[in-house]
Amino acid sequence: MKITLGRTAPCVNSLALLGVSGILWFAFAWQLLLHELPCPLCLLQRAGFAMVGIGLLLNIRFGSRPLHYGIVVVSALAGMVSAARQVLLHIAPGDPGFGSPFLGLHFYTWALVAFFALLLWSGLVLMLDDMGSAPAAGGKRAPGWLGKLATVAFLSILLINVLSTTVECGFGPCPDNPTGYQWLP
Amino acid sequence: MMLPFVTVLLSAWFAWRGHRCASIGAWWLTLATFIAWCFYHMTDPMNLSL
Repeated sequence: MKITLGRTAPCVNSLALLGVSGILWFAFAWQLLLHELPCPLCLLQRAGFAMVGIGLLLNIRFGSRPLHYGIVVVSALAGMVSAARQVLLHIAPGDPGFGSPFLGLHFYTWALVAFFALLLWSGLVLMLDDMGSAPAAGGKRAPGWLGKLATVAFLSILLINVLSTTVECGFGPCPDNPTGYQWLP
Repeated sequence: MMLPFVTVLLSAWFAWRGHRCASIGAWWLTLATFIAWCFYHMTDPMNLSL
């Protein structure tokens, strides 16, 4: 007997997109509530999560395809590089790290764990998703309520990140240790 | 620094509106800007000693 995701593949992708959106929403809420501005590497990790979300959104909207899973894997690897770099920046003994820790770990460490989990998720789902029932590439499909919810959560947090990053850094590079929003008095 | 967020938002918008090729193109653009910012922010020496 062959075990496949079958019709649950869009649901699995929607849940993953909801998870990625949740991570981005949580990071933004932390930024607002604790007044901790994201550093350039933190922003690159957010961009990595957003790029992962594109592969998941394409799976939801057009059906599962190897190209879409490839986007998830490459994006997770890109995010992993920036998270690993930041972990290494603060790995020396006595270094307090950047920002406040959450459940004992800094956000960049959590990001490294999350990107690794996304890679693992992609591997497992690729083993189980036969992609046989998906429409041909380019053929649109109507997402269910879970897919719509995940997409709205994802699109809205992306828009918020565009505005937030522009207010924080303007159109140029961000300072290494930001202390205030450049576009706010 | 806001450019990757703009292109990834465009990519998501294209995907949602059903333009698959445009969405994937915008994702490639996002990856290119991501790599450019990596070179800008990740090439200074780290405070590590062996």
